[in-house]
Amino acid sequence: MLGTPEAAPSRTAGERRRLDAVHRYGLLDDAPDGALDRVAALAARLFGAPMATVSVVGADRIRLKAAYGPTGARELGREPGLAASAIERDGPYVVPDTLRDPRTAAHPLVQGAPGVRFYAAAPITTPGGDRLGTVDVWDTRPREADADRLAALGELAALVAEELEGRLAAARTLAAERRMRTGAERLARTLQRTLLPPALPAVPGLSTAAAYHTASPDEVGGDFYDLFPLADGRWAFFLGDVCGKGADAAALTSLTRYTLRAAAIHDPDPGAALATLDAVLKAEYQDGDPRYCTAVFGVLESAPDGSFEVVLAAGGHPPALVLRADGTSRPVPTPGGQLIGLLPAPHFARNTVRLDPGDALLLYTDGLTEARTDDGGMLGEDGLADRLADLAPHGAEALLAAVDKLLGDLGDGVSDDTALLALSVPARPAGVPPTAPVHPALADPPRPTAPSAQENR
Amino acid sequence: MTERTLTVTSRTHPSGATVLTVDGELDHHTAPQLRAAVEAAPYPPAGTVLDLTRLGYCDSTGITVLVTGYHRAQAAGTPLVLAGLSADLLRVFRIVGLDQIFSFRPTVDEAVAALSS
Repeated sequence: MLGTPEAAPSRTAGERRRLDAVHRYGLLDDAPDGALDRVAALAARLFGAPMATVSVVGADRIRLKAAYGPTGARELGREPGLAASAIERDGPYVVPDTLRDPRTAAHPLVQGAPGVRFYAAAPITTPGGDRLGTVDVWDTRPREADADRLAALGELAALVAEELEGRLAAARTLAAERRMRTGAERLARTLQRTLLPPALPAVPGLSTAAAYHTASPDEVGGDFYDLFPLADGRWAFFLGDVCGKGADAAALTSLTRYTLRAAAIHDPDPGAALATLDAVLKAEYQDGDPRYCTAVFGVLESAPDGSFEVVLAAGGHPPALVLRADGTSRPVPTPGGQLIGLLPAPHFARNTVRLDPGDALLLYTDGLTEARTDDGGMLGEDGLADRLADLAPHGAEALLAAVDKLLGDLGDGVSDDTALLALSVPARPAGVPPTAPVHPALADPPRPTAPSAQENR
Repeated sequence: MTERTLTVTSRTHPSGATVLTVDGELDHHTAPQLRAAVEAAPYPPAGTVLDLTRLGYCDSTGITVLVTGYHRAQAAGTPLVLAGLSADLLRVFRIVGLDQIFSFRPTVDEAVAALSS
């Protein structure tokens, strides 16, 4: 009711709700507001009056969010009579002569500067029915207000309400999107951490090292690796890359990693493990949205002479790189190994390689070989081999340190995540005779790491 | 602009084959455009050519879409040929085994000729 706020020490439920709305719309700050300034100017022009404001009524104060003309202070007390009374009613609020009206005669703006004699206001009403404040017109002379102008003033107030509603919706959408994005990124990062073993297990007679390089802090890729013992004393490892990025990729990585580990328990043959993964991925993603991965799966068996035989199978993955103790290197070709989880009848290529003391095997994902070098071409398999050639004999740790430096040197040329797994057989101590048997898989001679680059421009 | 862009246009070759021309870079931001074109293509009996002459880049999501095209063509019982892949992309496609499901030809004309052979 008119004139009651001052007399009411405790706020009514309706007023508490109204104040909640004022805070929700964020209206009590004193930031300049160009849109509302124009509304105030338009209101003054509409009435041919020297002053107009867009005012918001807070708990104890009234804030002039926008003011046109010499209105004075931007914050006033909540004395009844002007805006404080105007928000008590639904329609326009008009005082043709403030000095002759008991509602307003004692108001400070009437008694003092700027000497308001005419006051007309329309409430700014939210869709929920809360009246936040007013668009109001002040004049220093008494006058009448015709119905057309009052209706137009109501339209201006409605326009302000719509503007505020739009801003609130935009702010909410933005906040919701930010929350979702942050949540999804955190989830994906957490998932990714769980997808990589916290530390590689110690394999007797072998040095191992692994690393994961993230190309972009906010896009989580789907590279993965693992190394674990088999029941018969051999060891198995895998490394790969799932298609896509983000939380979807992390979920696919999780499925891939646990499927490969489970498959290895039943049948540690590398080709069989990849075939099982292929079947699982196809069953999981059969409804028209193909998902696949590329991977290398290997089984390690140590020989009495300290060497290791490695049986590899690969699907759609760049070849692993063997670095020999003598400084030569060659890829372990697994040609024809197809993408896993995508093709009707995929073929997974196998190969066998022996690691003698001083030799190392490097597995990587294509973030490394597809990185751009200074000349704009891709690093490629040959480029990688060239840059690692002078490290022999290659310890796994030293090898990954060298790759780490290489990725650092390539800098922005690295546009995708890179997972790395290095296995090396420690060089034989001096005085121990080398062992002879050359494995059949090595019948083709290792090529020297000449700076040739047939496919790289 | 660092945003990758992609356009896909569809036309009918005088032979009756559908030619989808892909221009730009194919990654997980642009792949939905090609996916829409691949889903909408008619896969006529005369076959379909994906013209990739102006494809500058293709990531794993892009490969997924190309394979979707392969599945659609298989389901329609009609041939599909990829034309004009760059040497870099051809090398990557061969590594991942796509050469065992796709035919590659250097140009659209050679691809159309391969469709009817």
